[in-house]
Amino acid sequence: MLDPNILETTYEKCLKCNACVASCPVSGVTLDFGGPKHLGPELKRLVDNQQIIDDKRIEFCTLCGNCDMSCPENVHVSTLTAYAKAIHTEKSGFSFRDFVLSNAELVGKMASAFAPVTNMAMKMKPIRKMMEKMMGIPEDRQFPNYQFKNFNRVYKNKTSGSKRKVAYFVGCYATYNAPEVAGSFVKVMEYNGIEVAIPRQKCCGIPMLANGRMNRAQKNASDNIESLLAYTRRGYDVVATCTSCSLALKKEYLSINGTDEARELAAHVYDADEYLRMLKEEGELNVNLAPMKDRAGYHAPCHMRAQGMGNPAMDMLELIPEYDVQDLGAGCCGQCGTFGFKKEKYDVSMKLGRTMAESVKDLGADYTVTECGMCKNQLDQLTDKAVKHPIQILAESYERAKRAI
Amino acid sequence: MEEVLETQVVVIGGGITGAGILRDLALRGIKAILVEQGDLGHGTSTRNHGLLHSGGRYAVRDPEAAVESYHENLILKKTIPGSIEKTGGLFVKLPEDDDDYAQKWLRSCKKLGIPVEEIPVEQALREEPYLNKKAQAVFCVPDGAVDDFTLLVDVCADAVRRGAKTLTYHKVTDIVTEQERVVGVCIRDVLTGMEKEIRADIVVNAAGPWGMEIAGMAGVPLKIINNKGMLVVFSHRFNKRVINRLRMPGDGDIFVPAHDVTIFGTTGVNTENPNDFSLSRPELEHMLADGKALIPSIDDMRLIRAYSGSRPLYQTSAGRGSSGRDVTRGMALLDHHERDGMDGFITITGGKLTTFRLMAEKTVDLVCEKLGVQANCTTNVETVSGRRTGDSFNKADIAPAARHKLRNWAGVQAPKIESALKEEESSHIVCECEQVTWAEIEAAMPEKGSFRLGGIRRRTRLGMGPCQGTFCNFRAAALAAEKGRATIEEADGALLHAVSERKKGMGVVATGETARQLLLMETIYRVSLGFGEEAHQNV
Repeated sequence: MLDPNILETTYEKCLKCNACVASCPVSGVTLDFGGPKHLGPELKRLVDNQQIIDDKRIEFCTLCGNCDMSCPENVHVSTLTAYAKAIHTEKSGFSFRDFVLSNAELVGKMASAFAPVTNMAMKMKPIRKMMEKMMGIPEDRQFPNYQFKNFNRVYKNKTSGSKRKVAYFVGCYATYNAPEVAGSFVKVMEYNGIEVAIPRQKCCGIPMLANGRMNRAQKNASDNIESLLAYTRRGYDVVATCTSCSLALKKEYLSINGTDEARELAAHVYDADEYLRMLKEEGELNVNLAPMKDRAGYHAPCHMRAQGMGNPAMDMLELIPEYDVQDLGAGCCGQCGTFGFKKEKYDVSMKLGRTMAESVKDLGADYTVTECGMCKNQLDQLTDKAVKHPIQILAESYERAKRAI
Repeated sequence: MEEVLETQVVVIGGGITGAGILRDLALRGIKAILVEQGDLGHGTSTRNHGLLHSGGRYAVRDPEAAVESYHENLILKKTIPGSIEKTGGLFVKLPEDDDDYAQKWLRSCKKLGIPVEEIPVEQALREEPYLNKKAQAVFCVPDGAVDDFTLLVDVCADAVRRGAKTLTYHKVTDIVTEQERVVGVCIRDVLTGMEKEIRADIVVNAAGPWGMEIAGMAGVPLKIINNKGMLVVFSHRFNKRVINRLRMPGDGDIFVPAHDVTIFGTTGVNTENPNDFSLSRPELEHMLADGKALIPSIDDMRLIRAYSGSRPLYQTSAGRGSSGRDVTRGMALLDHHERDGMDGFITITGGKLTTFRLMAEKTVDLVCEKLGVQANCTTNVETVSGRRTGDSFNKADIAPAARHKLRNWAGVQAPKIESALKEEESSHIVCECEQVTWAEIEAAMPEKGSFRLGGIRRRTRLGMGPCQGTFCNFRAAALAAEKGRATIEEADGALLHAVSERKKGMGVVATGETARQLLLMETIYRVSLGFGEEAHQNV
């Protein structure tokens, strides 16, 4: 049963103005979704303390959080849609596929253990045909590669010896799929004289929330809060390179956990570029960055924008001399985490991705930069440009500066 | 006179008392016409808590009314199930409430036969998370919630089905008397201005707060005290059961869950004018301060509107000293022949929503006596068609929330609405807060007569949600004009009227979100739609 004690009451503030509907990427491309206003605040009002109403259309919500940003009354629309998802999952159950997709951490562990085989298998047509038929994972959908030398195998620091201390929330993607991003982050921190500790951590819970598994997400939230508070209380800052993870730690935990501890932790959480920008503002940043003559297009992930912190990746990249980076301004990529891996959502995912793919093409930059591994997955599939994490660019600039000395 | 009608009984007042009388008359085979100055429930009958009393509230102060209420509670649950939600109710004793009263109350309920069951405070707090954690004792009683709009509509429809007639938007202009005998009424159609007369053997004055005015037209002295009470609507339903405070009845101590909102009240201030529906901010604040004892977080909750209505309280000391035929202290049935020497004229007043059926029974018993008709009352067993339709609307392509609403609402109109929903346009949600489809709106429109949003609102809940019609009023008016259900002038007028009515109720509670909602509403209508103070523009 859902915990009735999560009394999310911000739905009372909804003025029905439709700003969330207008800004909802999914509502813009399909009528199959009932829209954030109806399935968020409106439905919550009709079921709160009353008979539960299950609306299947909630499956089309990607939990991107654009609704939250657009709301003039600060209604936590995506928390309310997550609640509707939890109701739907509780009433209708979840498929084996959704179970697998929502377990990013477990899948990461297993897939990376057999990485070369996994990656090959995911590119074999007969296997993909079977997966589509049996699991509803579209045949044409590309998957991210898994790495045998995952970040857990290569980096094991539990404490930091420097003055500023960073507890790195690596996240499933940088751990199992892109250890190079985690590696770059550690390097960038080293260039700034900050040693990085890796606290015990579980999946942030976003994929579980997106698949209506509220109870699991709550469990992971309380485990992570406990583990990370042990660091923040010793003077650590919690930093994440994945913007979905940082959104979860900063914002979602306040709603789905709601404790004082959740609030205490949230005050110490930073996105990686946001953290670096803070160092710069404090005059602590190593600004010895070598020039780079690249031309890059920046794609802003929805979960980065949902944090309401401006655009720290652009701010940081603009510090690199001669570096030319432009915001693609293309909205949602359409991958939306696990959403784009589902057969019945695939069309919507592709429609959403089209705008982004077109703007990448129009800009004609050398490569694309984005923080989010899932946005990268969609960019990899829909464009022919390489995709990098901003922290990788910064690491390279520092590296070049060091070599130049 | 442009038109003269004839009947046996004229019932003045389309509140629940009048409607109940009309149905009882029809069931006993007596021809009758009901005359109402506005829409059904223009007055007190739709301006109350919508509480189906278990009798608990009156157990100490008025045992007779308590027994009547409990008895009627059981009958109405069986005979008019579509308008009643068996929510149950709680009486909650707080630390500051008198222990003696609680003991007296328990003893009295036991003596009167009102079933009371004490439940553990922890259980009550679990079920009603907003209840004051300091509650000392909690008792369950068989209170319920009444939808007074559907109650009136359904009771009248049942009467009409049985041969009665209703004339809404008809104002009584005079009572016709001939030699100490009432023989009819003069009425004016307020929409067309047409003057009519109805000749009848008996005229029943069930005009509630307007009863004094009506009696005056017949030259009969009558003193009714109009005791105005204020109520407020919270933006969502936060209690599952009716919540009463276990103390001597006072202001601001009842919370009633009503569909998707909670209604809270009330106050009591005497007023001379029956048309006085004014709202006062200090009165509201006073009431909220009282209510905080039961529900401490009400200050943080959003109020969407307020309204007021007058209880017509009969004062026996007036008139010529005759006390009439007081049925109880609550209701008064006055035979003006016996009381004032005016034959063919009866006044029924006082009473409660919960006891309307009994009031009608007593009134019609007297009518039968006067007409020499031998017929027994059957409203205690004859049922009015229900509203819940089980798993209908399965095939309709609408949001599950809209389907849920229709299944609890459509009643006898279900087949009509279901077939209309096959058309894509009819399945569009017009009012999002309350999930009202165009199909329902069309089904609620009268066959003839002008287009009015108020009537549609009372019959569908259009515009009753938190946005108070900010969006759905203009949608409904525009659709009606587009589909030829209203002329553009009618739609304009209806829209302006509806918006100004909504604004009145919102104004007094307009702080926080509701203040912003009101601004948004005004901006949409004034700026985006270009409405000025008067209707000029087309929808």
